[in-house]
Amino acid sequence: MLSKKVIFTFSPQNVEKPVTYQLIKDYGLWVNILQAKFEPSLGGKLVLELKGEDEQIKEGLNFVRQIGVRIELLEQEVIWDEKKCIDCGACISICPTGVLSLDKETFKLKFDYEKCIVCGNCVEACPLQAIKVTF
Amino acid sequence: MTIQRTYEEINTKIRSGKAVIVTAEEIIPIVKEKGIEKATEEIDVVTTGTFGPMCSSGTIINFGHSDPPIRMQKVWLNDVEAYAGLAAVDVYLGATQLSESQGMEYGGAHVIEDLISGKKIKLKAISQGTDCYPRREIESYITKESINQAVLFNPRNGYQNYNVAVNTSDRKIYTYMGILLPNIGNANYCTSSQLSPLLNDPEFITIGIGTRIFLGGAQGYIAWEGTQFYPQMLKGEEGKAIYKGGTLAVVGDLKKMSTDYIRAATFKGYGVTLVVGIGIPIPILNSKIMKNAAVKDEDIWTEIIDYSFPHLIKPSLGRVNYKQLREGNITIRGKNVPTSPLSSYAKAREIAQRLKEEILRGKFLLQEPIQKFPKENKFKSLLEIH
Ligand code: SF4
Ligand code: SF4
Repeated sequence: MLSKKVIFTFSPQNVEKPVTYQLIKDYGLWVNILQAKFEPSLGGKLVLELKGEDEQIKEGLNFVRQIGVRIELLEQEVIWDEKKCIDCGACISICPTGVLSLDKETFKLKFDYEKCIVCGNCVEACPLQAIKVTF
Repeated sequence: MTIQRTYEEINTKIRSGKAVIVTAEEIIPIVKEKGIEKATEEIDVVTTGTFGPMCSSGTIINFGHSDPPIRMQKVWLNDVEAYAGLAAVDVYLGATQLSESQGMEYGGAHVIEDLISGKKIKLKAISQGTDCYPRREIESYITKESINQAVLFNPRNGYQNYNVAVNTSDRKIYTYMGILLPNIGNANYCTSSQLSPLLNDPEFITIGIGTRIFLGGAQGYIAWEGTQFYPQMLKGEEGKAIYKGGTLAVVGDLKKMSTDYIRAATFKGYGVTLVVGIGIPIPILNSKIMKNAAVKDEDIWTEIIDYSFPHLIKPSLGRVNYKQLREGNITIRGKNVPTSPLSSYAKAREIAQRLKEEILRGKFLLQEPIQKFPKENKFKSLLEIH
């Protein structure tokens, strides 16, 4: 099983295509929607995490490309330096996908990497410079 | 019978290892279960803690004299200017002063952190030269071991309470309360609430000039009321009173501090600040003090303020309590808004625990204030007179 994070950018022409439905049904992929922004007249943006066999993912992405949706793979990664972190929480409210939270018991920062779309918001919000984006 | 205790009685118990000490968080269920009177009987000290950005901070340094000597008139430490208008080799290095070569990435707070961690700091000083101090410039390196004194002296720390910051404008803004997203996209607050020193003794019954405190990992003292000290309670809404403006001027030996409890920070687009760890023990002299120290998040209120408004008095969008804030979401104008603390609750808790352990081990005795703070103060604005 492979896991890939992708950004789909839709144009007004293809914005109404049921892409996620088809990726699941026709290509057998496991799809998790991390972020979705749509404006029917302008197009939209979808950030997904896809899981499946290498072949399935390739074919699924080919199909998406064919209907004219632009695809970007998220290769970057966010690195959180726990030693520098003071658990202040300044990064939490700025994250669009709810990756960051304080543990309900210890009140230390929790980083749910799966949901991260590498937007970089937390990097600029962290006063201790404890978060970095790598390429 | 209501209990009354003196500082001396508490210190005698501490010395003989019999004092009962709990943190400001641990006291909450105890008081709930046993009631104020019984808790007052059983508990001698409640410890508090906070670990948050405190901009009004800095350190006094005495470098010692060189040969030939110099009367330093302008001084830089790692390219950060320190104020040298004091005698020959004394300076005051402010935490928010920025580096002249690295800008916002490095500042006075970073020099303080580097000094504490034992790093070498580059010193540069210039002077006009005098008959008694002929030298006109010097470049050298210092460490905390090489200098005579490094005394942390912070004119305004430990803010009792603070606003919740939001942004109603349509662009992202960068503030000392962090990054605020447009259209009330997030809400940032900054206290350790039920653990916070000045919210556990809001009337300053036991906290005053001379109180011994935990400061940056060492023992320090309260030197004076903090600047902009405003101890009065803000009423307004029924049942939602706000203590807002108590502050402390604190002093302690920087050489004994630890970077576990004092850190440099940079708020993007705003600047450099120092994150300071402070813990204050509250002696339970009577049941009134116990009642105050048992305060819980849901009883502590604060105001939601619109930081996009560029004037001194900013509009309020209502009041919230810290229970709501610490749940991670609040409702403002019908919108669900995620919240961020800027002050570390985990660290505040660690400081309160550590202070408790130090007292239990007999290493930290309670000091009665030599003088109380004023009960009232005016909060003046700067008038522009031409
Ligand atoms: S980069 Fe940071 S803010 Fe952006 S999604 Fe990842 S964790 Fe959240
Ligand atoms: S803002 Fe930085 S220091 Fe604060 S909790 Fe997040 S990662 Fe840790």
